[in-house]
Amino acid sequence: MKTQTEKKAISSDTKGKCGMSRREFLLYSGVTVGAASTISITLYPGTGQAAQARVVGYPRKLIGKLSQLKDDEPVGFNYPDDLANSDAMLVKMGGIKGGGAIGPQRDVVAYNYLCTHQGGPLQGSYKAEGPYRVLGMCPLHLSTYDLTRHGIVISGQAYQSLPQVLLELDGDDIYAVGMMGLIFGRHQNLMES
Amino acid sequence: MSTEYYIPEDSVPLPPKNADVLTTACDYCIVACGYKVYRWPVGAASGGAKASENAYGVDFPTFATQAWVAPTQYNVVMHKGRAHNIVITPDKDTTVVNLNGDSSIRGGCIAQKVYNPDKPTRDRLKSPLVRINGMLQPVTWDFALDIAAEVSKHVIDKHGANAYSIKSYGYQYMENTYAITKFSFRDVNTAAWTWHDTPAKVTSTPGYRDAGFDNFGPSYEDWGAADTLLICGTDPYETKTIIFTQWIKPGIDNGMKVISFNPRETGGVTYAKKMGVGLHIDVYPGTDLVVLGAITRIIIENGWEDKEWINKWVNNNYETSSGFGQGTRNTPWQWRTTWGKFQTGGFDGYKKWLLAQDEYTVENASRISGVDQQKIRQAAEWLAKPKADGSRVKTSIGIEKGCYWSNNTGNTNAIASLATTCGAGGRPGQVVGRFGGHQRGGQSGGKYPRNKSPEKVPGRRRRALDTDRWLQSGHSRLAHVIGTTWLQSMAGAAQLREKFEELVTHNPHQVRSYEKDEIIKTLKQRADSGGMVVWDHDIYLRNPIGTHFADIVFPAATWGEVDFMRANGERRIRLYSKFYDAPGEAQPDWWIIAQLAKRMGFEGYDWKNSNDVAEEMSRFSRKNRKSYHMVKVAAHREGTTLHEKLRSFGTDGIQGPVFYNYDTGELHGTKRLHDTTLTQADMDKKWGADGPAGANMHSKKYTHFNTQTGKVNIQKHPWSLISDYWEWMSPKGDELWHTNGRINEIWQSGFDDTERRAYIMQRWPEDAQFLEIHPDDAKARGIESGDLLMVYNDRVPIFKNTILGVDSDEFQFTTLMKKGHIELGKAAVTAVAMVTPAIKKNVTFSNFNNMIQPTNVLQGRVVDQISGNYNYKLGVTKIKKIGESRFKHSFRTMTFVPRTIG
Repeated sequence: MKTQTEKKAISSDTKGKCGMSRREFLLYSGVTVGAASTISITLYPGTGQAAQARVVGYPRKLIGKLSQLKDDEPVGFNYPDDLANSDAMLVKMGGIKGGGAIGPQRDVVAYNYLCTHQGGPLQGSYKAEGPYRVLGMCPLHLSTYDLTRHGIVISGQAYQSLPQVLLELDGDDIYAVGMMGLIFGRHQNLMES
Repeated sequence: MSTEYYIPEDSVPLPPKNADVLTTACDYCIVACGYKVYRWPVGAASGGAKASENAYGVDFPTFATQAWVAPTQYNVVMHKGRAHNIVITPDKDTTVVNLNGDSSIRGGCIAQKVYNPDKPTRDRLKSPLVRINGMLQPVTWDFALDIAAEVSKHVIDKHGANAYSIKSYGYQYMENTYAITKFSFRDVNTAAWTWHDTPAKVTSTPGYRDAGFDNFGPSYEDWGAADTLLICGTDPYETKTIIFTQWIKPGIDNGMKVISFNPRETGGVTYAKKMGVGLHIDVYPGTDLVVLGAITRIIIENGWEDKEWINKWVNNNYETSSGFGQGTRNTPWQWRTTWGKFQTGGFDGYKKWLLAQDEYTVENASRISGVDQQKIRQAAEWLAKPKADGSRVKTSIGIEKGCYWSNNTGNTNAIASLATTCGAGGRPGQVVGRFGGHQRGGQSGGKYPRNKSPEKVPGRRRRALDTDRWLQSGHSRLAHVIGTTWLQSMAGAAQLREKFEELVTHNPHQVRSYEKDEIIKTLKQRADSGGMVVWDHDIYLRNPIGTHFADIVFPAATWGEVDFMRANGERRIRLYSKFYDAPGEAQPDWWIIAQLAKRMGFEGYDWKNSNDVAEEMSRFSRKNRKSYHMVKVAAHREGTTLHEKLRSFGTDGIQGPVFYNYDTGELHGTKRLHDTTLTQADMDKKWGADGPAGANMHSKKYTHFNTQTGKVNIQKHPWSLISDYWEWMSPKGDELWHTNGRINEIWQSGFDDTERRAYIMQRWPEDAQFLEIHPDDAKARGIESGDLLMVYNDRVPIFKNTILGVDSDEFQFTTLMKKGHIELGKAAVTAVAMVTPAIKKNVTFSNFNNMIQPTNVLQGRVVDQISGNYNYKLGVTKIKKIGESRFKHSFRTMTFVPRTIG
């Protein structure tokens, strides 16, 4: 596992215009629905340098198989470790495309399960209504998050988006490889152990 | 900067054990949550994960509701000239307001508010600016102030004090508003003066004032202590967040019923419905009145009124009209000479009147308002139908701008009468008030010269001068704007802007010289030629008042940069501590006013610091709802200052009015006003056994209502006051209603949030004004979420003249139209479509006061004929799709998910 992490870290540090780190991939995948898989970073000269890798040091962890995911049925996992506040969810959003999503339909996303306002548990609050894919209301103060748009706050009190777990698809295997956003309760996602 | 590329952090420094800790409260909404600022020098070690290693004394990772630092809560500032880390987090130790350290999305990110040249706050104003050759040039304070003082004096001497128009924030700290009003009223003595949110210095809630209710009588805990809470014209979850999450939500969880009047559904309404205790009264804008009237009528027809309360606390016929000129004959009712429109002669008179009004039958109310009849009946039952055991329902009523800015007098009169009918007002958990907008930072330093106002309503009395019409009719030669936009926040804003352009930028007398004397001469010539000069105080250069119109800009110091005092929506007064150096040469507004006043020859402005101002002003607070004078008395007896004494109360502060017991040396706050359950013993404890001792002052509002008798006036609320305007305004052809309001993410914080806070700008890009539209209305126009719309109105009614009312119906809309006082303007903004069933069909909703796409241009500028306030919430619009916005297919910014899912 460690070897893989290191390997990815090196690739993530690539600053050249021809390589694209996962961090950069995530940024550009957000730009447009239709062209997510064919985006070229050369369309955005200069911005690659600004993107800091958020996958450096993160473990590459197998968290599930695409073929076993059922539409709109989240499954839980832990990331980036098994310690406090690492509860996360992986979901295939029933064909609804999302920012940073993987899979042939670009509808598989993963997020930390703790509300970024005061750490309320979001387990069991997944909602699929029409084209909307939502986590929340948080039972504490009713925040809701849009899972198709990098976990942005729809309504509520959170100070940041829901931390998104960055995913990679290798055949049928889904790997968690990094995170975007600080997990509630932690002062750094990667805890010293 | 673009937020398309906003990248969230995944780590944050923790404050170390030895960090400085200062208390403050949030700068934004009325609720004013308590916050702590942790400060430690850059270069010094940050805190560690162990409880023994950080200032919170907890182990990280922490668990739900424990202390935590989000990356948006960290920043770097200069303190005494040296770089310091700061972390600003809600106070976990507070026992009031934001219990358990709760916070809103706005306050939660407040650390991003402070000046940091590496962040989007880099464009804070740092030095005074004078416009030369169209460009604002940094100058010295002396240079700017000398010019301002000379020209100001000239305008007053030559054109009269009323040519000196002042529009000021009403909330940005007591020390500042005291200095501003002292200067404006005592010294300049102008009637052309108003707050940021009204065209004239008029009451926000005429119905409350005349009934005898203080706007901010209740305590926050009252909002969760009723059996049924009626909320009109707001969703507190959106805009009074912590009142909702800490007080109303627990009430809902305990079964408190919540009735919400609002054309739009948002999270708080959804939650109450989800819990089975919510009733959404989805009115068309401006029609709350007919539904309120119908509800009251059902209550009275069924005999559900609180008879005991009414017998004891409602003015009867004699009490209503007696008083030898001291009773209601000399109340605002009669000042406005309303020809008996509102007086009732007691509850029986009110009942007789109400039952005779056709518009208040359930059928008619339902037809006008578009609210289902069954909902109206249900609301009446929830509010007043006795419980199975015969006991009364405890009812409370809270309102906000959707109510009092859509039919100012009618709605507030009707709310007050409904409250009294239900026995609300004056008892714990049975209260009536406003939830509030901005915090309460007003402190009057002089008396508004009403008799100098040239505007007169029919009858005897003058009305506070409408500064917008005064300016539009060319009488303002100097506009002194303090911390507000003036234009975007007023109704019919496009035509107002046009007038500013004509008077300021199109005037031939523009500064072309660097010589002070030449500049002064040119600006005087502009004023003398019928044009207008503009002074502007602000923390950022605002568009267009600063960027386009200001001749002189004064950089203001604000929250965290000076010690200031302010109260919240339950009259809780706190010291907002200075914790870092203001940028550049920025100074607090009281200092700027003092320098200007002294140069103009006015006396009494020799304050050395903020506490000096506070100690001078405290005695003028004594009859106020937030009286804090006794804090100074106690402080001086203890050998300290008002500010330091207040600081010792930390985030808990103290609720005004404050009393001092000279015997025990204790200060006592006031939980609620009009508290009819207080006993003599309670009061004796506060101010001494022999009544109000020393500097303590008695006011009947502590235990009674704000009327001559101390009892409530129950008032009529005729629909005819506004029905002609409402019918004229109602959508014709393919028009839809347009109303606007505040949203949670940018409530009282737009100048920080939409323009300078990366995360919020990702949620709401600054050029992404939205328009909520019902799916049926959208479908009929081929509109989908994310489409870019042209939102326009070809008939914005603009009341343009300052008039003298003679006949009783002089200010009635029909008469104004007939006499040519209204012109019809055109206006347009663009907006991004948000198709959602959460907005009532035939109604659209946008965010209020977006600087780039200010939808107030669509709203009618016709004042409430009784109060002189705008009914900002009434407007109509046509809509056409002009293409797709860049947000439609982006995953990165905005979201089109309705706020009601959950």
